[in-house]
Amino acid sequence: MTAPDETGIGVDEWVEQSEGRREGHTGFTAPARRLFDKLTPGSRLTLFLLAAATYPFLVRGSDVRIGITILLLAMVALGLNVVVGWAGLLDLGYVAFYGFGAYFYAIVASDQLPAHWPTWIAIPIIVAASALLGALLSLPSRRLVGDYLAIMTLFFAQIFVELVRNFERLPFVPDDLNLTGGPNGIPGVKPFEFFGFEFNGQELLGGTLPTFSRQYYLVLVFLGLLIVGLHNLNDSRTGRAWRALREDTLAAEHMTMPVNRLKLLAFAVGAGIAGLSGALFATVQNGVFPNNFNLFVLIIMYAAVILGGSGSIPGVVLGAVAIAYVPELLRDPTKAGLLFYVGIAVVLFVLVRRWDKIAATVGGVFVLGLVVRFFSSRIWDESILGEVNDTSLSRLLDDWVLNFESQRDVITSYAFVLAIVGVLLVVLATGWWKIAALIPTLYLAILVWENKLVFQPSITRQLLFGAVLVVMMAVRPQGLLGTRRVEIM
Amino acid sequence: MKPILELRSLSKAFGGLQVIQDLDLVVGAGQIVTDDDPVVGQGEAVADLDFSLKPGEIVSVIGPNGAGKTTLFNLITGIYEPDSGDILMDGRSIIGLSPEQVSNLGVARTFQTLRVFLNMTVKENVMAAAYGNTKVGMWGSVFRTPSARREEKQISDLAESKLSFFGERLMGYRWDQPAYSLSYANRRRLEIARAMATNPRLLMLDEPAAGMNPAETHEITELIGQLRDDVGYSILVIEHDMHVVEGISDRVIALDHGVKIAEGSFEEVATNPHVIEAYLGAGAAGTK
Amino acid sequence: MEFFLQQTVNGLTLGSVYALLALGYSMVYGILKLLNFAHGEVYMFGAFAGYGMLTILGGSSALVVPVWLALVLMFLAAILASSAIGVALERFAYRPLRQSTRIAPLISAIGASFFLQAAALLMFTANSRTFNTPQLIAIDSGIPFGPIRVWMVRVLVIVTSFVLMVLLYLWVNRTKTGKAVRAVSFDREAAAMMGIDVDKVIVVVFLIGSALAGIGGVMVGLVFGRIFHIMGFVAGLKAFTAAVLGGIGSIPGAMLGGLMIGLAEAFTTGYISSTFQNLIVFGLLIVVLLIRPSGLLGRPELVKV
Ligand SMILES: Nc1ncnc2c1ncn2[C@@H]1O[C@H](COP(=O)(O)OP(=O)(O)O)[C@@H](O)[C@H]1O
Ligand SMILES: [Mg+2]
Repeated sequence: MTAPDETGIGVDEWVEQSEGRREGHTGFTAPARRLFDKLTPGSRLTLFLLAAATYPFLVRGSDVRIGITILLLAMVALGLNVVVGWAGLLDLGYVAFYGFGAYFYAIVASDQLPAHWPTWIAIPIIVAASALLGALLSLPSRRLVGDYLAIMTLFFAQIFVELVRNFERLPFVPDDLNLTGGPNGIPGVKPFEFFGFEFNGQELLGGTLPTFSRQYYLVLVFLGLLIVGLHNLNDSRTGRAWRALREDTLAAEHMTMPVNRLKLLAFAVGAGIAGLSGALFATVQNGVFPNNFNLFVLIIMYAAVILGGSGSIPGVVLGAVAIAYVPELLRDPTKAGLLFYVGIAVVLFVLVRRWDKIAATVGGVFVLGLVVRFFSSRIWDESILGEVNDTSLSRLLDDWVLNFESQRDVITSYAFVLAIVGVLLVVLATGWWKIAALIPTLYLAILVWENKLVFQPSITRQLLFGAVLVVMMAVRPQGLLGTRRVEIM
Repeated sequence: MKPILELRSLSKAFGGLQVIQDLDLVVGAGQIVTDDDPVVGQGEAVADLDFSLKPGEIVSVIGPNGAGKTTLFNLITGIYEPDSGDILMDGRSIIGLSPEQVSNLGVARTFQTLRVFLNMTVKENVMAAAYGNTKVGMWGSVFRTPSARREEKQISDLAESKLSFFGERLMGYRWDQPAYSLSYANRRRLEIARAMATNPRLLMLDEPAAGMNPAETHEITELIGQLRDDVGYSILVIEHDMHVVEGISDRVIALDHGVKIAEGSFEEVATNPHVIEAYLGAGAAGTK
Repeated sequence: MEFFLQQTVNGLTLGSVYALLALGYSMVYGILKLLNFAHGEVYMFGAFAGYGMLTILGGSSALVVPVWLALVLMFLAAILASSAIGVALERFAYRPLRQSTRIAPLISAIGASFFLQAAALLMFTANSRTFNTPQLIAIDSGIPFGPIRVWMVRVLVIVTSFVLMVLLYLWVNRTKTGKAVRAVSFDREAAAMMGIDVDKVIVVVFLIGSALAGIGGVMVGLVFGRIFHIMGFVAGLKAFTAAVLGGIGSIPGAMLGGLMIGLAEAFTTGYISSTFQNLIVFGLLIVVLLIRPSGLLGRPELVKV
């Protein structure tokens, strides 16, 4: 699946064609991408902020929370992007800094401690402390490269969760001090408050803005500032040095760049941003719990960075929007179904690309469904007795896809395994064989979806994120908006 | 007049393999200085005069593959530490310094294996190398302070001027292309431009003409001469192509199995029986 | 003394499983320079395949075949399932990325690991399963070891792992394929030019590494009873650490590292507290990594300039 032109990079022929490749942008997203390329970074940001600012008016009440989740993910993913996307340091402990910031804020702004710090003091201190922690943890990691760094930082993340879970049981902690709340976390974190302006509570400033919206705009302001700052930083001496470090550490070192100091700085900046996002998260959620900072959350952050395009600020923001929004869609079976079938259509389009073949595939799946249903109803009554699940889309599939009454779990498990095997075969096959493999695979996928996945949004989400990472790496490692990267070893 | 770089009985072995053995070398002292004959007083003026006429010198290192030439570079730039012997910059030992520290002392190099920052643009490659000579901090960049803007402009101008050195080759639209889109020959040029941006006094080029066609080789020969004459670098260059070596060298040293087997002008070295034997023994075509 | 011996046996049991897992990590890393994060999931699926076979055979209490045959079939099922997954991972998640950036396969591995976990959750739910081993092999069977008696299952685990490791060592060092494996891990391009089928060698390595992981999964199920869908994560992490500790790429190193981690864990649990088991093991490993980044028996990597 390696792009064919990658083999000859640097060879004269390849260089000659490189002009042509730069034209780039083909396919159905091309117009959007060309338009995007034409905009200056400033106008892109303005457009984004304008769109984002109207969001709370478009949705009702608590749906604004989804927006807050998206913005927070964008912030924290931008921090991760500094470490991974720019400096090229694979930090798998990043989620710990997010957790550190959140816990720090929760502890100083709740009843865990008698001292309640004012927000405007707490935030800068938290950012500085997180950055310092990041720098400290990067000290031992300095000499480690690549995978060793990854494993070491992963341990840090594990240690963080263990510490938070077991804090009050640690030998050096006095019995009556329970800072982290152990497995129960810290509920009841105070809202943000800047000089009397509360970002929570029911009525303020004439009560014009509901609570969630107020928090939403707060996070949006932080995100906007962060984007500007990071954009400037990327285009500076420091940003260039980070990227040089990522490209070739040894060469960077020979070109007057102090690689160790730069690594430390990248870790610190990333950790500072994570700490800030964590603190915001704590106030928005009104509490912190150990599971908010586990490996799953780390994967979500990585998925956002990778999907959008590691190294690209608009890419990472876009990635965060996609990654944080999809799970919300999955919660509602109707929307989830829509997403699933649209997803299938897109995959079909990308994989097959020819109308006659697409028509053949769709027809094939349909016929297969009818045949399977016909025979299975002869052999085994229960295969169609089940109640059809209650989404409008699925009702269309009533007479077509099997709905099991008993043994649903067992059968869907087998169907799931077969569907995976089918997907792998589709990847391997070419021409009409691909279609032949695609037809049963699609049928099985729909079967599994309708019988199981649609009711299991959290599993679906996990499957989806895992698959996103694998598929993106194979198909488009640069992400949606990133630029293609080349590495020669 | 102190030489820029001086090696004193340098040795390096990897495992059991002796790669560099008791090597002495002086670079950048004009053409009259020998290390055991320090020039003082009246002589200094002469040296100075000489220097101003011929600010640097170009020393070529030749030798069959595996002779230890690249290892010599790696020792000087601090990738490896020598087992024994000393490396002096401006008379001070630089043993134990990191590559970054060495580069900040004014030593820049290119790599035989081509190590440009592939996914940065051509111009950014050169701009990145100005790091050591600039000083705006992170916050200055984040807030785009006036001094940060000013410095950014300077870096940009510096990069453009260094790239312009290569004329059409690295000109114009190519500046904003990723470095991986360059041909191998152009990457070699870009590496030189990048090295120049660190503001060095000693430039070390590892096989700059490798992979170039005869016309390009000719071009690079002239360019190396210009680098010395116009900019004033002292240059230490590893090269296999004897036309290049003949065209540029003030002095040539020949290595074989890490041992210096000959030193002197091109003619002296090229006709030295040890050198011919080393090359023929290694199966190479020998002196052309 | 008794307690000490008991913990030693615990540590050796756990350690042999870690060692089996570590071997897979180490071999894959040696040959591809890839940290196969999904290796722990391969092991988890091995455990579930073994459990599935046990269920098919009637379960621990109502076996329809002799115990030894049941054990053999369980291990076979695990080997089949695990190596199928391992080879599929290599073919679909890693092979397309051989030419890409260093970071790409790592992220792909994380994604694959995550996907496999979710798949397990989908198929097996979040409930843990138990092998009910005492009904299979009496708890008072076993051999005396000083003042204590070592349960037969533990003997089985320790001896089998040891035999497997010796076989692997001989295979790598004495056979032609083993030689090819070493050649490819030393320099893939040169090996390819010498006419070695690199793809095939890599597949073989994944096959063997995954099979060992599957065996380890069944062993853990037998000894500790419980298996569950996220068991692969922490075990994989520790096994990788074992590999790093011993010196990644080195087969004796993986064994040594696995045993050391198993022992460290058993003694922490035994003498300090199981709460801090992970904390202390991870902390210890960070220290070791810092002092010897290339591990106890590993060789530092060459820098090519
Ligand atoms: N890091 C290293 N470890 C072991 N051997 C090395 C290392 N670097 C170079 N060598 C060996 O040193 C010898 C000289 O290499 P090198 O300096 O690259 O030669 P050349 O003169 O062709 O540039 C070669 O035999 C090479 O294999
Ligand atoms: Mg060389």
